Amino acid sequence: MRELLVVLNTRAQSFLKRVFELRWQTVVQNISSLLIFGGFAVAVFLVARFATDYLITEAHIGLFLFHRFLSMLLYVFFVTVNVGNMIVAFSTLYKSQEVNFLMSLPISHAKIFLIKFVDNFFYSSSTLTLLGLAMLLGYGSFFDLPWYYYFFVMFFIMLPFMLIAAILAITTLMLLIKLGTRIGFRLLLVLVLCVYSGGVYLYFNATNPMSLVEDVMKLWPNVNEYMGYLDPPFVKVLPNHWVAEFLYWSLHGEYARALPYFSMLFLTMLGLIALAGLMARRFYYESWLAIADLQAGRPAISGKTRSLFASSSFLKASFLKRSFLKPHWDVLVKRDLSLFLREPSQWLHLLLMVVLLGMFLVSLATLKLTFEQPAMQATAFMIIFMFNGFLIASIALRFVFPTVSLEGDAFWCVRTSPTQLSKLYWYKVVTALVGVGVVAEFLSFVSVFLFRQDASLALVSAIIIFFVTLTLTGLNVGAGSYFAMYKERNPIRVASSQGASLTFLASMLYLTVVVTLSLIPLNNYFTTWHAADGFSIRWALMPLAVIAIISSVIFAFSTRVGLRAIRNDSR
Amino acid sequence: MSMIEIQHVTKKFGAFTAVDNLTLKIEAGEFFGFLGPNGAGKTTTIKMLTGLYEPTVGHCFVDGHDVHWTPLEAKRSFGYVPDQPYLYEKLTGREFLHFVGGLFGIPYRDVKNRIDEIKDLFEIGSFMDKRAEEYSQGMRQRIVLTAGLLHDPKVLIIDEPIVGLDPRSARLVKDTLKQKTKEGLTVFMSTHLLEIVEELCDRIAIIKNGKIIHEDFAPSRNGNLEALFLELTK
Repeated sequence: MRELLVVLNTRAQSFLKRVFELRWQTVVQNISSLLIFGGFAVAVFLVARFATDYLITEAHIGLFLFHRFLSMLLYVFFVTVNVGNMIVAFSTLYKSQEVNFLMSLPISHAKIFLIKFVDNFFYSSSTLTLLGLAMLLGYGSFFDLPWYYYFFVMFFIMLPFMLIAAILAITTLMLLIKLGTRIGFRLLLVLVLCVYSGGVYLYFNATNPMSLVEDVMKLWPNVNEYMGYLDPPFVKVLPNHWVAEFLYWSLHGEYARALPYFSMLFLTMLGLIALAGLMARRFYYESWLAIADLQAGRPAISGKTRSLFASSSFLKASFLKRSFLKPHWDVLVKRDLSLFLREPSQWLHLLLMVVLLGMFLVSLATLKLTFEQPAMQATAFMIIFMFNGFLIASIALRFVFPTVSLEGDAFWCVRTSPTQLSKLYWYKVVTALVGVGVVAEFLSFVSVFLFRQDASLALVSAIIIFFVTLTLTGLNVGAGSYFAMYKERNPIRVASSQGASLTFLASMLYLTVVVTLSLIPLNNYFTTWHAADGFSIRWALMPLAVIAIISSVIFAFSTRVGLRAIRNDSR
Repeated sequence: MSMIEIQHVTKKFGAFTAVDNLTLKIEAGEFFGFLGPNGAGKTTTIKMLTGLYEPTVGHCFVDGHDVHWTPLEAKRSFGYVPDQPYLYEKLTGREFLHFVGGLFGIPYRDVKNRIDEIKDLFEIGSFMDKRAEEYSQGMRQRIVLTAGLLHDPKVLIIDEPIVGLDPRSARLVKDTLKQKTKEGLTVFMSTHLLEIVEELCDRIAIIKNGKIIHEDFAPSRNGNLEALFLELTK
């Protein structure tokens, strides 16, 4: 236990020294983080409060249905925490230099596992914890709940809930690695993607929100009554259901009925911690060795556990073929392509995003998207538009933000060569713009197509998406350069760093402004559509001009900051 | 004309002065040894010379080009071998060499020919098609040394060239550098290993607390360098 405390104490001291360091840059960074994270929390609080208010007092959906929606939201939250922890855990528990160091010390493997688990949980779940707290405050403030309620729910309900997701993630990862050494990691990856996609699909298929709404509304106005018989049986064993049930019963003051759900959450968490400890003793070192072997014992470019692309003749020959590009650009493109396709965490994540994108588009195609009221129609379009923006921001954060950091320790060879760093910077902007732009415009086109095949709507949407892509790309390259972590080899850790979180929040603020401005032309568009009147593109000119100006300013500012940072010789 | 000229260069990091009003001239074909205890300012000087740091005061010239005013011209004339030979882990040695060749604007076919020409200098042929993640420190060092000579530079700037090399590889590196100097290459080498300095260098400078405290020609002929170094740096 003593060595565990020593490590955790050193970690805490290092963290505190970093946060409270009295350097001008650190202070400014911390204050900006505080402002942006604070702003984000306030925005989430307001949205949660508004949504609760709207659903209860305007839409009159009743407390039962409201808590079922909450349960679905918590399910998504649970899967996000779970997947986030699993992805980050691969680097934290298996590829970190610190683990190599700790493994050489007389500390038990289970303790190393515990230390890294704590590290992993804080690293990958801190923003989600803030999100959870802000939502809880928004929810609670509507129902006028006392202060100790928040305290209790946050520490004794939400924390166990998130820990269950995190423990399940890392224990599953341990088993998956063991399994991967037997069946091969490619097959394993396909299986994991199928299981997760299938899990989300089956959950929403079984809970069926639309039929649940219909069933509950049949009993209107008695919608506040408990209708637990409508829940499918398997849902009752899910932690998100326990949280929703606890909130429902405690809101009614029926603590005796809320208590079992609290007990189930807490006991499951304790049971899983014990199970994780036992499994760590048995499997952690073995799985760590499997990954170490995999990394160390690689023959040149082949082997069944290599990336899907690494063994292709295309990549083997990539550096050894002449191309039409000038030598400078040629080698940069080939280097980036090779590094991307040979790094499993890169192409795996891309594959995952493609699957999510596919799921999103399939769900979109099955939705009923035509409404009688133009305002509702515009809102539905804007929600999908916002989601497109969110996807673009996520892709940019994950794949564009780390590009400067990924120059890494080997950056010396570019910096001492006759290559202008500004050209390198623009190369990163342009390649990111092309990559993200293709995805973004495709999404924009499909969204418009699903609503109505119309050239005006497609044009307005394409222009807005172009500016969104330009801004988010510029912002992510610029901020990625400013917050560059050249010592960090793992792109996932770069994309989940403090700088990355700030960039993502800034992207969200920008998207909110764009969506608000876009509402005007879109509302006009749908009004004229319903009135069978002609839509004039001139109505969209003013909002588009404002979006263009804001986007250009953000792009120019980010580029200036990014260019200065990449030239900075002190890093 | 001097191949390397450092004129009254000072580098400050906040209140700390790492290099203090340093002036040096190194002529073409000279093998120059740059010595000093840990933290004396050797690597900082090399980083200013290669454009990785900007001097707070003063100028660095390589082949007559100011490293900070005309960086591209200056960088075309030197090769650099850092103390830590970081490579892209997922690229093979050959790919890395093609990459460096491309950055220097060398056409593809010339890079290919040049690699074939110089791969035996540091005997990298047996492992250059494996990925860098499989290399030992010595293998990395030999790849980086090859990369430093790939564009046939007039000047080679090396930070600790022998660290991590086995005796055979170290011999290979020393012989190659000696031969290259005879062919006209100017070498600026920073090292802690005094016997290498004695064997290879035409001239040395010892730096302490950012200042040159001693300059000497042909250290091997002027008595015990170790005693001198210890005396000066105590």
